[in-house]
Amino acid sequence: MKGYAWAVAATAACTAAGFALRPHVDPVNIAMLYLLPVLVIARFFTRGAAATAAVLGVATFDFLFVPPYLTFAVDDLQYLLTFAILLVAGLVISDLAESARREARARAAAALEAETERLRGTLLSSISHDLRTPLAVMSGASSTLLESGERMPPADRRVLAESIYAQARGMADVMGNVLQMTRLETGAVVLERDWASLGEIAGAVLDRLAGALSRHRLMLELPAELPLVRVDATLIEQALGNLLENAAKHTPPGTLVRLRAVRGESEVVVSVEDFGLGLEAEEFQRVFAKFHRRGGGEGGGLGLGLSICRAIVQLHGGRIWAEQLPGGGSAFRFALALEAVPASPAEGAA
Amino acid sequence: MPAPAILIVEDEPEIRRFLRASLAAEGYRVVEAAGGERGVIDAASHKPDMAIIDLGLPDLDGVEVIRRIRAWSPMPIVVLSARVQERAKIDALDAGADDYITKPFGVGELLARVRVALRHLARSAQGCAVLTLGGVRLDLTKRHASRGQDQIHLTPIEFKLLGCLARHLGLVVTHQHLLTEVWGPTHSSDTHYLRVYMRQLREKLEADPVRPKHLLTEIGVGYRLLADED
Repeated sequence: MKGYAWAVAATAACTAAGFALRPHVDPVNIAMLYLLPVLVIARFFTRGAAATAAVLGVATFDFLFVPPYLTFAVDDLQYLLTFAILLVAGLVISDLAESARREARARAAAALEAETERLRGTLLSSISHDLRTPLAVMSGASSTLLESGERMPPADRRVLAESIYAQARGMADVMGNVLQMTRLETGAVVLERDWASLGEIAGAVLDRLAGALSRHRLMLELPAELPLVRVDATLIEQALGNLLENAAKHTPPGTLVRLRAVRGESEVVVSVEDFGLGLEAEEFQRVFAKFHRRGGGEGGGLGLGLSICRAIVQLHGGRIWAEQLPGGGSAFRFALALEAVPASPAEGAA
Repeated sequence: MPAPAILIVEDEPEIRRFLRASLAAEGYRVVEAAGGERGVIDAASHKPDMAIIDLGLPDLDGVEVIRRIRAWSPMPIVVLSARVQERAKIDALDAGADDYITKPFGVGELLARVRVALRHLARSAQGCAVLTLGGVRLDLTKRHASRGQDQIHLTPIEFKLLGCLARHLGLVVTHQHLLTEVWGPTHSSDTHYLRVYMRQLREKLEADPVRPKHLLTEIGVGYRLLADED
């Protein structure tokens, strides 16, 4: 509909221009003027809109600029040729523009498909790496236990059993991430919002990740007066956990990891700050992309952790971003909207 | 006294196999059922001391198995759930399961849950009025809490919350369960009450309220009270 409105508006503008030029130019040149809206409309809108511009142009030109004026009659038959050319030019141009547009769309679709294909390739190669290595370790270690476990010192048996266990847990995490990303992307995750305390969520995350964070110094800045948030605590726990794991994975042992929550006017901002090497300037956007691995893939993992964070925060209607910290580290922050917390029961009478 | 008997209701033979091996190694007697219907029958005929029930059974919903066993028996029930079964986990707890463990799990975790569940069974006869939480001594009958010589003031609602958690010592108690028991059924979804009171309790009882050792959060599910082993 917009194209048709523009066709009318552009023809009207040409008419105004035509009246202004009339004392100075030949009527045939004014006819050329009406070709302009046809060109422009054909470029940006549908074929129908372009044809409308052509017909409108012909009619207006005939009505106002071809004697006898203010009628659709034509004295000089040569103007019929002008009309025909105007009309045909309009239709041909709109045809060309339409096919150019179609081609561009096809190219974009092909590019998208190529990108999907590339991602699928990355996924396959990283899954096969991330699963094949632990599988090799597990089958190697367990067959050693089977074949010669009885002849081994208990300490060696234990080492083998521990590595089987560790690899299996790692593999379960990878599978869990792939599954969760798929569920988030296909809309299979339904938010179960309820009042939650960020302090409690942080406490549970730190408990769950005690092992992964044990080599870093942790600093917590969680003010006791933080308001409750209405979120899906299971998902926010996961997002916060991914950010903390990520910080621990990409910074040297012994460095500081700071978890803080700051209350703003209408939102609360949760940050995980690390004091490692930081990010390359161009990485700040890309870190949240699927399969992006910081530092070219060191540290393993599929590169899904941060994209899961982003999907979770966006599902909550929040924002998530990364920042360079003065002095070198990086900060990953997300903001969640605050809602008015209903009053709690007073206990004065009890 | 004979070793406690544990019923395993699980359709995957490989999982049954390692459960049987690890439970037998701890001296428990094991009864196995490969499906829900069978599990309900075995629970009645073998009268085990507790049951471990998988939530993803092919023939009968795990929650339904729990409901049918709960209809006549208070035996402790621990459910095995997959990570994506958040909702099913809570349904199972509301249907009467006492605790859950998420697959994949280490046997250490499972055995700890089993010990807590069996202790719960033994305790439910005489109750548990006096607890020690780190440096805090808690007497729930006298409604008295103290750290060393210092008395800690707890409100009646705080005592009620602790009492409810203590009746399920070591086990998870769902938000809904706590809310219904402390504030009544009309408040069963007022989770913000719980958040406020749990924070107060942690500030009074925990050495580090952000990283609690006794009043644990089970995200999305409820709370768990851990006391010092006696």
